[in-house]
This record gives sequence, C-alpha cells and structure tokens, in this order.
Amino acid sequence: MSASPIVETRGLTKTYGGSNRVNQVGLTVEAGQIYGFLGPNGAGKTTTLKMLLGLIKPTAGSIKVFGKDLAKHRPDILNRTGSLIESPSYYGHLTGLENMRVMQRMRNAPARNIDKALQIVRLENQKHKKADQYSLGMKQRLGIAMSLLAFPELLILDEPTNGLDPAGIGEIRELIKSLPDQYGITVLLSSHLLSEIEQIATSVGIISDGRLLYQGTMRSLRASAKASIRFQTADPARAEAVLLERGYLPVAQGNRLTFDYLRDEEVSRINRILVEQDIPVIRIEERKKSLEDIFLDLTGKERSL
Amino acid sequence: MIRSIRAEWLKIRRSRIVPVLAVLPVVSLLVGCINFYFNRTVLQNGWYSLWTQVSLFYGEFFLPVLIAICCAFVCRLEHNNRNWNMVLTSPLSVTSLFAAKLFIVGALILAAQTFFVLMYGASGRLFALPGGFPMEIVAWSLRGWFASLSIASLQLGLSIRIRSFAAPIGIGLCAVFLGLGMYVLKIGMLFPHSLLTIGMGVLSQKGLTPAENGAFLFMNGLFVLLFAVWSIRRMKNEDVVSS
Repeated sequence: MSASPIVETRGLTKTYGGSNRVNQVGLTVEAGQIYGFLGPNGAGKTTTLKMLLGLIKPTAGSIKVFGKDLAKHRPDILNRTGSLIESPSYYGHLTGLENMRVMQRMRNAPARNIDKALQIVRLENQKHKKADQYSLGMKQRLGIAMSLLAFPELLILDEPTNGLDPAGIGEIRELIKSLPDQYGITVLLSSHLLSEIEQIATSVGIISDGRLLYQGTMRSLRASAKASIRFQTADPARAEAVLLERGYLPVAQGNRLTFDYLRDEEVSRINRILVEQDIPVIRIEERKKSLEDIFLDLTGKERSL
Repeated sequence: MIRSIRAEWLKIRRSRIVPVLAVLPVVSLLVGCINFYFNRTVLQNGWYSLWTQVSLFYGEFFLPVLIAICCAFVCRLEHNNRNWNMVLTSPLSVTSLFAAKLFIVGALILAAQTFFVLMYGASGRLFALPGGFPMEIVAWSLRGWFASLSIASLQLGLSIRIRSFAAPIGIGLCAVFLGLGMYVLKIGMLFPHSLLTIGMGVLSQKGLTPAENGAFLFMNGLFVLLFAVWSIRRMKNEDVVSS
C-alpha cells in the first residue's frame, strides 16, 4: 500500500443557493480503515460522498482518491471503487441475478463474483425473484452485493443499514467489519446513528451543518470521554472560595462543584481541605462522559433517530 | 463501449417495450390501408399509392412518437430507483453510455422499421397490387431509419434531462409539426423531423439526387453528433439530480 491516504479532501465545499451545504471539509481515510462518517440528518454526509464519486461537482476544494486527483482520473478511480449512495439502485423488472449481471457487464468483473457477492449478503436463495418484489432489506442487500461485485479497493456506503431489521443490521455490520481483513477493502460509510458507527468504525469523522467537527480514530474519541469529579457540600459558596484560594478551578453548578479530570491524589487532597475547613462533604462522584455526550457537545443537536 | 451495449441490452430484456414496438407500426399500417381501400379510385399508382397512405401516418406521426417512447423508456430505467447514481459511478464513460443507449434505440427502431416494411409488402399482396414489390421502398426505409437516429439523439437528450416520461414525447410531437412546416418551406434539411419526411419519401416519391442523398446523410450525421455532444457535455459537467 502506498503511503498516501485512500481518500483525501481539502477545503471541500458545496454551495447551494448561497448556503454552504458542505463547508471546508478535509476528510482523510487511510488504507484498511473502516471510516465512519457520522452526522445528523441533513448535515451534508450524502453530498460529501456524492462529491467523492464525482456525482456532484464541488464548488471549491480538492479531492484525491488513491492519491490521484478525482477530476483527472475519474474512470480509473471509479474502477477501483464500489458504492451505494442514498437508497439502493436496481432495475425492478429484472431479477436480483440479472441486476448483478448488468453490474458485472458494466464493471467487467468475473462472472463467479456474482455468486460470491450474493452469498456474502445471503441473497442467493432469492436471486431469481424480481427486484421489485424484494423487501426494503433485500433491496439494501442487493445494493451492497452490487457495490461489492468487483471487490473494489474502496467501498463507499451511504447509510448501509437503512431499512434493515435488527438481525439484518447485525449481519451487515459483521460483514462490513470483515471486509478490510478478508478482502483488503477500505470502507467509508455514513450513518446518523452513533451506536452504529461506534460498533463498526475504526475511525470517525463527525459532520454537522456541513462542517467537519471531529476527525480521528475511534480510540482517541473514546479517550476524550474523560471523567469529571463532582463534590457536593453543605456550603458550596464557601467551599468554592476556599478551593479557589488554593489554586483549584472548580465550576459551580447548584450545590455541586465540578472539576474536569482529577487524579486520585487530588481528589483526596481536596476532600481533606474541605474537611479541615469544617465544610461537610456530602458526596464525591465521578461522572463519565458518554460518546453520546461528546457527539451532542460537538453537534449541539439532539441526536436524530 | 461493447460492455455498455451488453449492459443496456440486459436492461431492456423482459421489459414491456416490445409490444409497443409492434403495435404502433400495425396501427399506422391499418389506418393507411383503410384510407387506401376507400380511396382507390383516386389512388391509381399501385404500390406507390399504398406507400403514400401507410407511410403518411407512420412516418409523419407514429414513428417519431415511437422513437420518443423508446428514448423515454431507456431513460426511465435510470430515472427510477436513483439508478443514475449506479450508472454514473460505474467506470464506463458517459460517452459510451449515451452511445449504447442510442445504439439500443437504433436497433429497436430498425426492428420496427423492418416489421413495418414486411407488413407493407404483405398488405400490398393482399390488395393484389400490380407489379412486384418496389425495391426503392427498402432504400427509403433505411433512409428513414437513418433520420430516426438524429431524432433519437435529440429525444435521448430530452429524456435524460427531463424526469417525466410523457413530457419529452410531447415535445417530440410539437417537433413533428415544426418539421412538417419546415419541410413545406423547403428548409427540411435543417431539422431532424423533416429529414425523416424527406428520407422516407412520405410526401414526395420523386426520389433524391445523389447530391441530395449526400446532403441528407451529412445533415443526419451532423444532428446525431450535435445532440450527442450536447447531452454528453451536460452529463459530464452537471450535478446528478436523483430523488
């Protein structure tokens, strides 16, 4: 694998009627990652993914895929990329198998890939049924099978678990997780569900109102979920004054004083100070920020379901 | 390119376009034959008179509509289910996509045209017209098919652009009348639909001089290319709207 990222955008912007739907987005997806593109509905996820595929043209910014400029090397890039954008595409009057054949001809993929891809999404028993008669979940599976058909180096999936039942979601999740190791596929997927991304992704980009607010590995996002320590005392005003005097920076909330992350020694030291000053300490509690809190802090929005 | 055609071919299989392809020529032939039957006292020119009657309805009205329907049909496949997303993210070029669609429409129209000429021959025999089947008719039909390609190139462009199935067909109908007007004004070479009238020998059975034939072929080639470039450039440069 080359050192350059699989996907790299700089200052990617799309303006519709004066407002920036996507604003200065700098995505970096490295080889072998499962990159979760997370954001509330209407945040600009699909618009960004469509720009990566050249379906819509950016107003400003650059896109490189496999280290190559998208505008100049689009056919080559598309040849190495599979995608499922918005809802699954299919020809309703054709069977699942025939839909796969159309895709196989367009992609010039070997015929044996059809069975393999259908098997992976567990559609081999329904392949002679017309796509129109498929359930939403089956259409989604067909869409995934079609995007996988050529076993591309990069797979772009827009809300891949939409319309699937819980069992199907679990299945597709395991499937996506296995792709980098089994087939060397780098996956870029979007979702508006934090839980979804949390369970699949190794890296995450959080977008809201067209801006990329966070980008990094899942691990470092979790690490930023630091615990805070809260002291509840009988005399919060005096406690605050005393602690400020000694160089601590508590945040007063009602009768509680909250500290960002504190080491254990610091906790006992503060406790001793308060007790020595005859301020009754009622409660010392640790509050861990959940990923959801971080997500909400970042996006400033209620999570949409 | 071959890949695109093979993919397009698969897409239209088991679709409902074939009955339409058969019915429209039959209807126009029937209307033409009935007209011929009731006006036989005036129409004294045997095979040629029959041709004026059947090709009038077919070439002036049903064939352009049939072309428009075929074009709208091959584009509707892509407008449905956001299939443009899938087609335009395949590694095949927009040019080969357009060419493949034009090829498919061309093949369908050629089939309809052949069917029409065969039926014309059969009905001529049925009326027991004097003399053999005039071979010029085959040449006229082929010329008509060639003019069909420029109309198809235009209609494909419209149908790619317009999501609605019927609107481009409506526009095509307006173009028919415009084409008739331009034919009457003797500037028919400048419009695809009038080229069809000229090519099929619908209103005049004089035949074309070699120079006219050359101009006819050249103008058709030019129109096919012009409309193709227009559509391909548009598909390359504009955002794909799919919802």
